[in-house]
Amino acid sequence: MVAYVWYGDALALGLASGPACLAACGPVLVPSLLAGQSGVVSNLRTIAVFLGTRLLGYLLFAIVAWQVGALASMLIKPHPYVIGLVYVLMAGVLAWYAYAAGRNCTGDCSTAKLVTIQEKGFAQLANDSKKTLAGVAALGFLTGLNFCPPFIVAGIRAAELGSLTGALLYFAVFFAGTSIWFVPFAGLGCVVRNPGLITVARMTMGLVALYYLALGLYMLLGR
Amino acid sequence: MATNIQVLRAAGPARRGIGRSILLTLPIMLWSLLMFARPDAGRDLKSNIAGGITAIFMVLLFFMMMRTGTTHRWRRLFFVSVGVLFPIEFIHTVLQMRGTMGIPIEEMIAGRTPFCFLPIPLLIVPAALTRTVIFPGSILPGQGMAGDGIAAMVGIWLAISLVIGKGWCSYACFFGGIEEGVAAIPKQAKIRKLDPRWHYLPWAVLLAMVLLSLALFEPAYCMWLCPFKAVSEYVAARNTVGLIQNVIFIVLFAALVIVLPFMTKKRTQCSFLCPFGAFQSLFNKISVFDVRIDQDKCRACVLCQNACPNMSLTKESVAKGEALMSCMKCGACVDACPRHAVSWHVKGTDVAWKPERARLMFLYGAWAMAILFGGSIIAQGLATILGVFA
Repeated sequence: MVAYVWYGDALALGLASGPACLAACGPVLVPSLLAGQSGVVSNLRTIAVFLGTRLLGYLLFAIVAWQVGALASMLIKPHPYVIGLVYVLMAGVLAWYAYAAGRNCTGDCSTAKLVTIQEKGFAQLANDSKKTLAGVAALGFLTGLNFCPPFIVAGIRAAELGSLTGALLYFAVFFAGTSIWFVPFAGLGCVVRNPGLITVARMTMGLVALYYLALGLYMLLGR
Repeated sequence: MATNIQVLRAAGPARRGIGRSILLTLPIMLWSLLMFARPDAGRDLKSNIAGGITAIFMVLLFFMMMRTGTTHRWRRLFFVSVGVLFPIEFIHTVLQMRGTMGIPIEEMIAGRTPFCFLPIPLLIVPAALTRTVIFPGSILPGQGMAGDGIAAMVGIWLAISLVIGKGWCSYACFFGGIEEGVAAIPKQAKIRKLDPRWHYLPWAVLLAMVLLSLALFEPAYCMWLCPFKAVSEYVAARNTVGLIQNVIFIVLFAALVIVLPFMTKKRTQCSFLCPFGAFQSLFNKISVFDVRIDQDKCRACVLCQNACPNMSLTKESVAKGEALMSCMKCGACVDACPRHAVSWHVKGTDVAWKPERARLMFLYGAWAMAILFGGSIIAQGLATILGVFA
């Protein structure tokens, strides 16, 4: 009975914190989805991969934090160097993804014409979907290590459970609560892809990558 | 064909008689008098003189538009005046009230940061999701530099945008005049070929800034990218981050507002960076006015494309008989066309339907707004100069 209360608490916390998670992941996820294939199912798959690896990042951190006792002592804020490194890696993955999305377009993405992308381009994109999903997976994992305030709150609550398994389960339920908020992003699949849109998405990824790179270097090189 | 163009250029647009031009200018004259030259007990002499000069200036420009049948060069005079006088008035006021152009953090916390229209698109999503305005200003008229507040600016912006769409960027923006003035200086562009893909960058900046503003819960463009911070107010550089922000502002201003407009004769900041401009393009879909190309008259001489200050005409768009949605309705292409193939147009009518009437309908709305908004800035700028030299 007590466990139900705890996990209900985790779900409620996740649902309440969802918009904050959405805001934190939006700059990475939205342009990545727009640069990919159209279609709600395809976008749902991308989101699932992103969320799955994000959960992996969360759990990995929770295990490490538990082992070193940081979770229980509520000192779960990581060292600025770790965050700086995560930001630099995220910038690198975003830049690579933006570059790869351009290569997937079989030349059409480089034109300024606002016309629907050719079927040939999509076929190529489908062939490279493994590469695309790898990029999304890497981004999901890195955002999982990019701690937002709701995650820290969940960490503190999970620590009160007293066992690693319980804490991990708490995290997983909390994560499920936040993930519901990500489902509407699949609606971006309805946006018709054309070279203009993909160029905009790639440029956006480049700009966001620049932002994370600057932030990461600032943290690594000393404030 | 070149000879034909020269002949047609020599003919120029249809000129009106003086009497008819005055008659058409009368509504604008009345509006200007109402705005600037009314007897007002609360205003001092220098403000009345500045208002009088502004009223004459605005009426004269409109008269010349009516008389010559051209738009761009007269509008440009107004627009550059706004661009030059706004920083003069603004910086003077900031220095008087704060003693520095840097925004102290205390002012931000107190909600006394002056609000301009540029962050409007960045505020919408956070406001919709959290009912919070992520700008350290005052919603209603506030103290200090808060001025008339965010609500007043949003109201003015919405009213103007619904009528003239992205015409805002040519008749109401108080920043674009600087680069338009710089772009007018050289006789020929030193850089002629610009990759059209850069035209997508403002949309990317818009998307990135909207997402980052939501993530950071602050107007990211104002904090990191606005070139006009260099001539208005900047972040008080109390630490490394503040220093970096100011360096970015100055570099972007120098590059996109001074150097590149001079080299390209284009409004490069508007074309390649401004997220507000990209957002404003959406209002071109609502506005009833647009620019169309009559395919029967067009000889694809590309004069209109070369004249366009923000690359809103491409070969493809001309072939389709319309400008891109980024068109700022400045009138440069209309004036440049020797065959009158490019014209103002009211949506829902035939392309060839009375283009001069469409131009008049647009100009009455646009110029009335210009007097209301830009004209006030000119009057305040002139009053500041008169006050300094008095």
